[in-house]
Amino acid sequence: MHADAILELRNLKAGYATNAGFVRAVDDVSLTLHRGEFLGIAGESGCGKSTLAYSIMRLLRDNARIESGSIIFDGTDITSLDEKAMNEYRWTRMAMVFQSAMNALNPVLSVEEQLVDAVLAHKQVTRADAKKTAMEMLELVDINAERIASYPHQLSGGMRQRVMIAMALLLKPDLLIMDEPTTALDVVVQRSILQKIEELRHIFGFSVIFITHDLSLLVEISDSLAIMYAGKICEYGPSREVYASPDHPYTKGLMNAFPTLTGPISRMGGIEGQAPSLLSPPPGCRFAPRCNVAIDACTKEVPLLQVTSPGRLCACRLCGGNHE
Amino acid sequence: MNNVILELKHVSKHFALSGLRNISKVVHAMDDVSFFLNKGESLALVGESGSGKTTTASVIAGMYEKTSGEIYLDGQPVLPFKTREASLRYKKKVQMIFQDPFASLNPTHTIRSILERPFLIHKLAGSTRELEAMLCDSLEMVGLSPAKEYLHRFPHELSGGQRQRVNIARTFAVSPEIILADEPTSMLDVSIRIGIMNMMLDLKEKKHVSFLYITHDLAGARYMSTRIAVMYAGMIMEIGPTEEVIANAVHPYVQLLKASAPAPQEGVRKAAIPAKGEIPSLVHPPSGCRFHTRCPYAKKICSEEVPAMRDIGNGHFVRCVLV
Repeated sequence: MHADAILELRNLKAGYATNAGFVRAVDDVSLTLHRGEFLGIAGESGCGKSTLAYSIMRLLRDNARIESGSIIFDGTDITSLDEKAMNEYRWTRMAMVFQSAMNALNPVLSVEEQLVDAVLAHKQVTRADAKKTAMEMLELVDINAERIASYPHQLSGGMRQRVMIAMALLLKPDLLIMDEPTTALDVVVQRSILQKIEELRHIFGFSVIFITHDLSLLVEISDSLAIMYAGKICEYGPSREVYASPDHPYTKGLMNAFPTLTGPISRMGGIEGQAPSLLSPPPGCRFAPRCNVAIDACTKEVPLLQVTSPGRLCACRLCGGNHE
Repeated sequence: MNNVILELKHVSKHFALSGLRNISKVVHAMDDVSFFLNKGESLALVGESGSGKTTTASVIAGMYEKTSGEIYLDGQPVLPFKTREASLRYKKKVQMIFQDPFASLNPTHTIRSILERPFLIHKLAGSTRELEAMLCDSLEMVGLSPAKEYLHRFPHELSGGQRQRVNIARTFAVSPEIILADEPTSMLDVSIRIGIMNMMLDLKEKKHVSFLYITHDLAGARYMSTRIAVMYAGMIMEIGPTEEVIANAVHPYVQLLKASAPAPQEGVRKAAIPAKGEIPSLVHPPSGCRFHTRCPYAKKICSEEVPAMRDIGNGHFVRCVLV
């Protein structure tokens, strides 16, 4: 493990048991997250990015499980911890902001009760101290501390998402996982929340895993970028480099799939077809059926994530990497 | 002027609130909206949620009755419809693509029965064989081929992108002149959005239709349109040629919207945007300019009078007294 790594995933496999069979939503994912780093994970719906997040938090649903591999958090493999030991980590060391703040907050409890509960569940403090912590945190996310008495329906969507961020940061975790935290929000609100996260990251120094389908947003805010496709990471590297010169054909397709506000308007390509079902993923490279440069061998051998240049990884036999 | 196919003049739509406590309270969803749409043109209507853009499309589509103002199609005032025939004639010309491809197709009907409705309602097919050919043509037109493979399927058997293609096929079935596209790609995966956008651009050229393209994404609006109208809290704040509005945004709200959009080519921006607050309540909209409560440049006058749309040349209009 790297000295300054806070989280390391090694060959992680996780999935869901469904009536139609086992769906491996996270397939052999390895990643390293450094202290203070902002990692963006981009991928389309169904690519396994949320499953990855819930695996790290060990919050998978009943029909889901981690099959194999390890999640090493600050030197400890947390995959084998029991619930009690896991609770020492959850929320105290690593916390999560869920996608839909509308559903993640309990509508019949006030913000105060929910925030204070989160503190008391993990820390031996008095209720008054817990409330004080909660109010300080609310001020930090730009919500007037008096609003602590509010119920979720009295807050706007943006404010509810700020409450979720405050709740995640209450115990000053080392790792903050954000699963599409701004997808349901308008662009202006999204922008102000991203600014807030940047500000808080500089105050507290936590690492971030930011999961979204909006690649244009990630490129702008993250230090490093992992692109997921059909359960696997297909490309990884510093965001600026991946944006400037993507290696993997899927990344190239994604980069050519969102219009920009500046520069010439040219016809964009996007990607033909649709992502495969994870119940029966295609053999070989999972992107091969949609890839416009695929050769025969692509459909036969699974490409491994290989170093293409310092700090950059790509899983494609056509961009210098090896294969199985 | 004869190139204008659709024109709205000072159109407003207020929704009455329900409940005894709310008697005489209304939501000002759309206020004093004026714009025109040229033949074969694509106009983007951009705004955040709650800005009134979908209400605008629904009022034009005849789904909601306007509260005041006039809507002209080919120079003739329309709405409310006096007869069913008038309604059908209008709806054959003006069609809408809905945002949610999962909710806008009846899950218990096959694609055939969904798609044959417009042909039957508008009596477009002379015989069963002709109908069959028309169904196949419209599916092939949106890239669902071979069409026979899709006709017997149910919506749940199609992906989101395919469903939206069926929606678009249904919209084009009656050879409309105006398409109201209400965020047609916002619920689709990023990799397939551009394919749907390209298809709409192609169909617009091929079928000579005019598009009102509704979106919250300024960059998408730029890709799809030649003119842009930006709505905020029920009112149009700025309208003009796409490139001009985006490159030289004049209204403080449009500038804010532009600064908020993701800009991967620029890297992390250090300068914070002067955003404060969120879209105001439309039950009690702010007095004067609706943006003054959030505007970093607001002066006293901004809260006192509603600014008029001002012509700043080149077909570029702005609703701001400070310009």
